[in-house]
Amino acid sequence: MLRRIAPDLPVSIGDCDRERVPATVSYDLELRDVRKVYGNGTIAVERFDLRVERGEFISFVGPSGCGKTTTLRMIAGFEAITAGEVLIRGQRINELPAERRPTSTIFQNFALFPHMSVQANIEYGLAVKGLAPAERRAKARGMIEKLELADVAARRPDGLSGGQRQRVALARSLVVEPEILLLDEPLGALDANLRKSIQNELKLLQRNLGITFVFVTHAQSEALVLSDRVVVMNRGTIEQLSTPYELYRRPKTPFVARFIGRNALIGGRMIGLSDGLCAVDTPHGALRGRGNGEDLGPGDAAIVVVPSEAIDIHPAGRSGGMPDLGRDANGLSGQVISSDVVGHTLFLVVRLGDGAEVRVESHVARYAVDLVAVGCDVALSWAAEESTIIRQD
Amino acid sequence: MEGRPLVRWSLMIYTGLFIVFLYGPFVVLAILSFQAGPNGGPQFPIIHWSIYWYKQLFSLNPPSSVAPLPIGDALVRSLILASVTMVLSTVLGTITAQAFRRRFKGSTLVFYLVVLGMIVPGVLVGLGVALVSNSLDIARTWWGTAFATHVVYTYPFAFLVMLAIFNRFDRSVEEAAWSLGVPPGRTFRKITFPLIFPGVLSAMLFAFTLSYDEFPRSLFAAGPDLTLPLAIYGTFQIEVHPDIFAFGVLTTLFSFSLLAVYGILMALSLRRARKVAIQEEAA
Ligand SMILES: Nc1ncnc2c1ncn2[C@@H]1O[C@H](COP(=O)(O)OP(=O)(O)OP(=O)(O)O)[C@@H](O)[C@H]1O
Ligand SMILES: [Mg+2]
Repeated sequence: MLRRIAPDLPVSIGDCDRERVPATVSYDLELRDVRKVYGNGTIAVERFDLRVERGEFISFVGPSGCGKTTTLRMIAGFEAITAGEVLIRGQRINELPAERRPTSTIFQNFALFPHMSVQANIEYGLAVKGLAPAERRAKARGMIEKLELADVAARRPDGLSGGQRQRVALARSLVVEPEILLLDEPLGALDANLRKSIQNELKLLQRNLGITFVFVTHAQSEALVLSDRVVVMNRGTIEQLSTPYELYRRPKTPFVARFIGRNALIGGRMIGLSDGLCAVDTPHGALRGRGNGEDLGPGDAAIVVVPSEAIDIHPAGRSGGMPDLGRDANGLSGQVISSDVVGHTLFLVVRLGDGAEVRVESHVARYAVDLVAVGCDVALSWAAEESTIIRQD
Repeated sequence: MEGRPLVRWSLMIYTGLFIVFLYGPFVVLAILSFQAGPNGGPQFPIIHWSIYWYKQLFSLNPPSSVAPLPIGDALVRSLILASVTMVLSTVLGTITAQAFRRRFKGSTLVFYLVVLGMIVPGVLVGLGVALVSNSLDIARTWWGTAFATHVVYTYPFAFLVMLAIFNRFDRSVEEAAWSLGVPPGRTFRKITFPLIFPGVLSAMLFAFTLSYDEFPRSLFAAGPDLTLPLAIYGTFQIEVHPDIFAFGVLTTLFSFSLLAVYGILMALSLRRARKVAIQEEAA
């Protein structure tokens, strides 16, 4: 079945996974080479491969219009699948209508039934399933208690706050016991504080229920906090699929390096391997870092990705000389063109010799503020181990 | 506005004239309907006030030289015609608008075909139907040919009303229902329909009133049994008595009561949700 997957996939499941998985194992959710072309010719999703284990919390992140919602809607059954296959627990569900799929969707605007009370909203799915009134009332009660909605159970949705609506939407979807819960930017309509607290509730809920969550967001921080694995999408394809930590530490493409975290990207050409680290020739001298597993040959265009938190700042001071950075360190020098303090964090923008700009973040107490003010010369360094070398595309 | 008395006065006069032209005829009609009978004519001055002509409508007066208005049957026919037209047009309009929620091939063409029914002049449609039914030897009847023209005429109105309603309809509510396992048919009945009900009411009101006083199409298509507007027009051909004014007053009151029913149903369906919310808030 893996024959179907084009060999030049940007990213799919790690190679080692392919060997370990026996053919009979069925994933909770599997997308095979899924493609979506809308009626107007827009290619919204392409070459989308994904396998989700039971109980995983998977996020789709990416810029607006990259196809997150489209993919989710194909899984939910609201949108026809142009090509490829979607499987739930090994069953192909391409042709199954939405109401017969074991999925349930939470919408950004929550889409509560405005003409029904909260209680009725939650009970409705059970009533349609044919549960006896007493049984469904009991189930709905349980869910209402679990999500602390007892006070508002008799109200209609338009009398609820944003956070309450969110919980009603969750209760309504969870009470029908879906195998997979699909969430399309469910926190988008909430204010920042509420988002934080609901994020935590959501994660706890998912842990307790043990069901699979597929969560769409364009807030990367949300995805990184909540997910077991994150799918980074760009223009309809997967750029990278990894754990949040991997994504952050070892981006695989320049897009991911720019999209996730706050990284400095420095272009150059691959020189070769030394001491297990890749060396890249850049306009600022040779820089070294960890390869991300791709085979880069000497002469290939490469990018050095440096997390801005890993960078140490060395004020040139009054002497103006470059400090000694030590053997394993990589270094750059330049001039501070912007210096801001937000809370305890110091944000610097440093312009390098060739005009490129590097962003640096640091704790404010580490440096004398007047030595890193606008116009000061500084040197930047980081442990080679912290940076990643990726292929330039 | 306070600083410009001229503008203010001209607007006030304009509004005043507007109201006079809108309600003037009806007021005159209403006053004249209380003319003395049976000898009082359809003109001022009022000889003395009476409800003679109202009684005349219901044949409660002693026999006189004035014949009863020949509109009783026509009234019944028009009410039946308007009701059935209302139901059919609203159903068709809703179904068509539902189809238009997704773009489909040829949707623009279908749109104009439907809307044509309210654009083409009624006299032409009536004449056309008369010609066609004559040449095909189809009998012209109020419940056949006239009914068809009424539906063709009112269906676009119902369709446009429902189109506007669906335009503002949040489809994710339906998707939410499907995702809970509710089949599409049941979703439409239990979720979509209650939410578009105010629109359906409006479409029904439109279709009913348009059909109830439709004239040019019925004139040619109704055949020998007349609808109400035709029957009233017919009475003008002979002598006009104030009983026609009395009838005018009653039928206008009937229209107002329809509006009132519409208003009440609308207010009920809109307020129910709010009321519950407010009660909860207060508790
Ligand atoms: N019904 C549609 N018909 C045609 N094109 C569509 C339709 N829905 C979405 N698209 C297009 O498909 C692409 C992907 O859209 P999608 O809604 O999946 O993006 P998204 O990643 O969810 O973006 P956002 O973060 O803004 O919600 C976009 O280019 C969009 O314009
Ligand atoms: Mg979206």
